[in-house]
Amino acid sequence: MAANDPIHQFQIEKLVDFGTVNLPVFGRSELAFTNSHLAMTIAFVIVVGFLSLVTARMQVVPGRMQAVGETLFGMIDNLAESIIGHDGKKYFPFVFTIFMFILAMNVIGLLLTFTVTSQLAVTATFGLMTILLVLIVGFAKNGLGFFKLFVPSGVPWVLLPVIVVIEFVSFLLRPVTLALRLFGNMLGGHVALKVFAGFIVTLVGLGLGGGLGVFGFPGAALSLGMVIALTALECLVAFLQAFVFAVLTCIYLNDVVNLGHGH
Amino acid sequence: MTAQTEPAATHTVEGAAEASAVHAGEHVETTGAEHSAGLPQFQFQHWAGQIGYLLILFVILYILMSKVFAPRVRRVFDERETTIRDALTSAREVQAQAERQAEGAKRALAEARSAAQKTAADAAAKSSAEAATRRAALDSELAEKQAAAETQIRTARNTAMQQLTTVATDAAEAMIEKVTGVKAPRDAIAAAVTSQGQ
Repeated sequence: MAANDPIHQFQIEKLVDFGTVNLPVFGRSELAFTNSHLAMTIAFVIVVGFLSLVTARMQVVPGRMQAVGETLFGMIDNLAESIIGHDGKKYFPFVFTIFMFILAMNVIGLLLTFTVTSQLAVTATFGLMTILLVLIVGFAKNGLGFFKLFVPSGVPWVLLPVIVVIEFVSFLLRPVTLALRLFGNMLGGHVALKVFAGFIVTLVGLGLGGGLGVFGFPGAALSLGMVIALTALECLVAFLQAFVFAVLTCIYLNDVVNLGHGH
Repeated sequence: MTAQTEPAATHTVEGAAEASAVHAGEHVETTGAEHSAGLPQFQFQHWAGQIGYLLILFVILYILMSKVFAPRVRRVFDERETTIRDALTSAREVQAQAERQAEGAKRALAEARSAAQKTAADAAAKSSAEAATRRAALDSELAEKQAAAETQIRTARNTAMQQLTTVATDAAEAMIEKVTGVKAPRDAIAAAVTSQGQ
């Protein structure tokens, strides 16, 4: 039954158990090397391996592998520079790390049975890290002027209290939306994949039972088609969500880097 | 078989639609895990381990990225940009040079053409002058010859006329002598003939 359960794929399974501890914020925590840790490690190794391979012997005229790496690099580089401006180069490593890490996690999620980015703990960490960086950069660059972020210029003073509250709440919601967008996309996509894949098994079983059940076969074929189509879609989503995360990171950074001018 | 798989199929649909509430009780039953309810993502006992590990990996990756990978790629990008810029500059230089050379060639061509035209004009003038000189020389020579011939003719005529006078005088003398038998003085006859002839 567990094989047909679309939620079961998100279950954390302990591979190596290190016992249980009580942590201040998280409460009772089970420390273990789990399937989630394994997938993260694979994503990490893939990113590091890929970038090492790409940048090991770089040439002015790129080879095939280098061209792929440069395309990804150039894409995020242009993104950071076009959104943040001249300072974009400084924040590029952070944005590119986030992008590559999420992309690798999303892609291996399609190949493995476990998707790290469908774990809210993971996406929330990414979201909080981004917002934390935004806060640090904001206060480091502008001091208390950071709070001007909540006071857009050119707003009639009557509306100002309302606008400030809205801006403040929307700022607080940024890490939440960052985390939930990636989490929701990955969760939904993989649940849908699993549901249609489960249909195939069920309907083929029905068909093998004979009688009227033979109508299960076309249904199974249809489900298989859906699984294929969804897999193609998920490939796109895997890239797109990583890209969206990078874009939003750039936009949020731009807000505090260029605070007060060009707003 | 059929009877057994049927509820599972409906269960998957429900699970997709309303993942938490409906699913909760059955999930515990099916997986046999000890977690309480809903999505496995909300088993908070697993959060700390994942977050800690992710942060460690992220920091390592960030350091690698900012210290190794990004500078490497950036260097190649810059190098490429420099190479392209240099190539463009030199290409522009070469183009300018070529243009200058073309200009020079054009000027040289124009000069050569004007020189050739001048030479041709000179040659034409010279040859026409020569022709004129030669013609003039020829003319004068001819005129000289003509004048000489005229003089010769005149001389010949004068001579002939003198001889004619002599002949006429002789004839008149002889006729007078024959007719009259008297020998007339020769001077008188000559004078008469001359006066007659004029």
